[in-house]
Amino acid sequence: MSQPDNISHDASTLYRGQNPGPPEMAAMNAVDVRGLSRSFDGREILRDVTFSVAHGEIFGYLGPNGAGKTTTIRILLGLLTPGAGECRVLGRDLAIDDAARAKVGVLFETNGLADRLSAADNLAYYAGLYDLDDPRDRIDELLALVDLDDRRNDPVGTFSTGMKRRLGIARAILHRPEVVFLDEPSSGLDPGAQRMVRDLIVDLSRREEMTVFLNSHHLDEVQRICSTVAILAGGRIRAFDSVKNLTAASGRPEMTVVLADPGDRARARETAMAFPYVSGCEEDGEVLRCTLADPGAIPDLIAALAAAGFRLLEVRRSSRSLEEIYLEHVGQSGCSS
Amino acid sequence: MSTFTVIAGREVHLALRNRSIIITALIFAVWFPALSAVGMVATSGGGAEAVSGAVAAVTLPVAILMGYIFCSDAFLREKRDGSIETLLCAPVSLRHLWAGKTCGVAIPAYLTTLLSAVVTLAMASAMLEAPPSLDLLLIPHMLVVVPVWILTAAGFVGAAQLALGMRENQILGFLFIFGFIFLIGGLQGIISGGAEISAAAEAALAAAGVALLGLARFIAGKVSKERIVTTIP
Repeated sequence: MSQPDNISHDASTLYRGQNPGPPEMAAMNAVDVRGLSRSFDGREILRDVTFSVAHGEIFGYLGPNGAGKTTTIRILLGLLTPGAGECRVLGRDLAIDDAARAKVGVLFETNGLADRLSAADNLAYYAGLYDLDDPRDRIDELLALVDLDDRRNDPVGTFSTGMKRRLGIARAILHRPEVVFLDEPSSGLDPGAQRMVRDLIVDLSRREEMTVFLNSHHLDEVQRICSTVAILAGGRIRAFDSVKNLTAASGRPEMTVVLADPGDRARARETAMAFPYVSGCEEDGEVLRCTLADPGAIPDLIAALAAAGFRLLEVRRSSRSLEEIYLEHVGQSGCSS
Repeated sequence: MSTFTVIAGREVHLALRNRSIIITALIFAVWFPALSAVGMVATSGGGAEAVSGAVAAVTLPVAILMGYIFCSDAFLREKRDGSIETLLCAPVSLRHLWAGKTCGVAIPAYLTTLLSAVVTLAMASAMLEAPPSLDLLLIPHMLVVVPVWILTAAGFVGAAQLALGMRENQILGFLFIFGFIFLIGGLQGIISGGAEISAAAEAALAAAGVALLGLARFIAGKVSKERIVTTIP
């Protein structure tokens, strides 16, 4: 599929946009953002941002603090007006379409819960706002899902951060939205709670067939659960592709070789370097790391090393982590290059 | 149940569970009329018109103050903690949200104002050493004028709290309250030549309250979501 014209080519070297397409495709996507720009007090926060999210996808929206992630979500939800460009959620403009907002759920960094009300009362309130018929079963189901059914009558003010976050997620999906926006759902949680939230998101995506728009700093979390990501930095989209494509070490496939006899590393390196398509090979501790010009040559290199008499304990194709990709686009300091 | 009822019901629920707000409201509902009633009854001679006038004069400022006190929990707290952002994403118009919250705030404010009226009467009764006779005009005053002015105060303060930043809210909150109090005092003085209750004064107060409530509703409808979101601290 072609890359949209309004994406900056210089900035999006990894852009392989499987989702974006011509405007008539907007209705097919759960979220469409095209040429979005927005400034505050003369400072440009978003500049020509374009991406889209397919139905049923878990989409990761990444970027450093102040990159404009929350601003994008606010514009999508109709809370802020775009300076230029357009946004659609389920093909609708939520700024002017009250009814369409019933199909969208949201969890901001604040959970939207009243501390003095019980967990069940908080959910009942939102059930009323979304005009749900007889929501008791749904509330029971969600409280059980987020493992809070035994605390249903306790004031939310007595809950831990993780419990509030889980209840916040339950609130966000109470009305069975088609798209749910989660802004830093794991923020401030301990590793156990983070995992619980992560599992919950995946479960919801599968069970309720929701499109999940995940705004997160937890790159490991995003890599595990998201199918597609966009990296925002300096107000621009720096990369937008499937996690699989992004982390497949695009352009420079690597393989890691562990030899049964570590003393053979130098000789094995020479053998590998003599092999066509190998552009580099380094000893890295106990292993050899070879960079190939063509990923299809990996089996041949393995065969050549074996034929040369080296005993291979382990061979694996290296892939880059999302963190590496992220830092490549955003920079170590969190500022885009 | 309509979303309006849901929103209003939640505000009542929350107000009744907020001990600090309830205690503050009760202190003002008892302390302010107790001080005012003593002076008013002592200088009036204890007639029915004078006692009713004292109750009317005391309850209106108290009503406005109660509207302001309960507003701080319904509007300002949700803005301060950011939960208003989540509410704005619900399929409810901002004017609907404002109206539900304003009515929800008005109910506990009205109940505490009724308490204030009872305290004023009890003080007058104690000072006169006999049950005070009351003017019938006090009935429409308590049933119409007071609720209208509570709604007006809560509506204005709520709309302002949604639209303004935190510092401006602190300043304008006080300006609203004292502005209302001076307005009421001025209206009573102009129409009846004093603090005594009169049909003309009650009608004028009710009409002014309804007009201002309409204005508050208009202003609330003009507040944009962007304005609210960008003034969240």
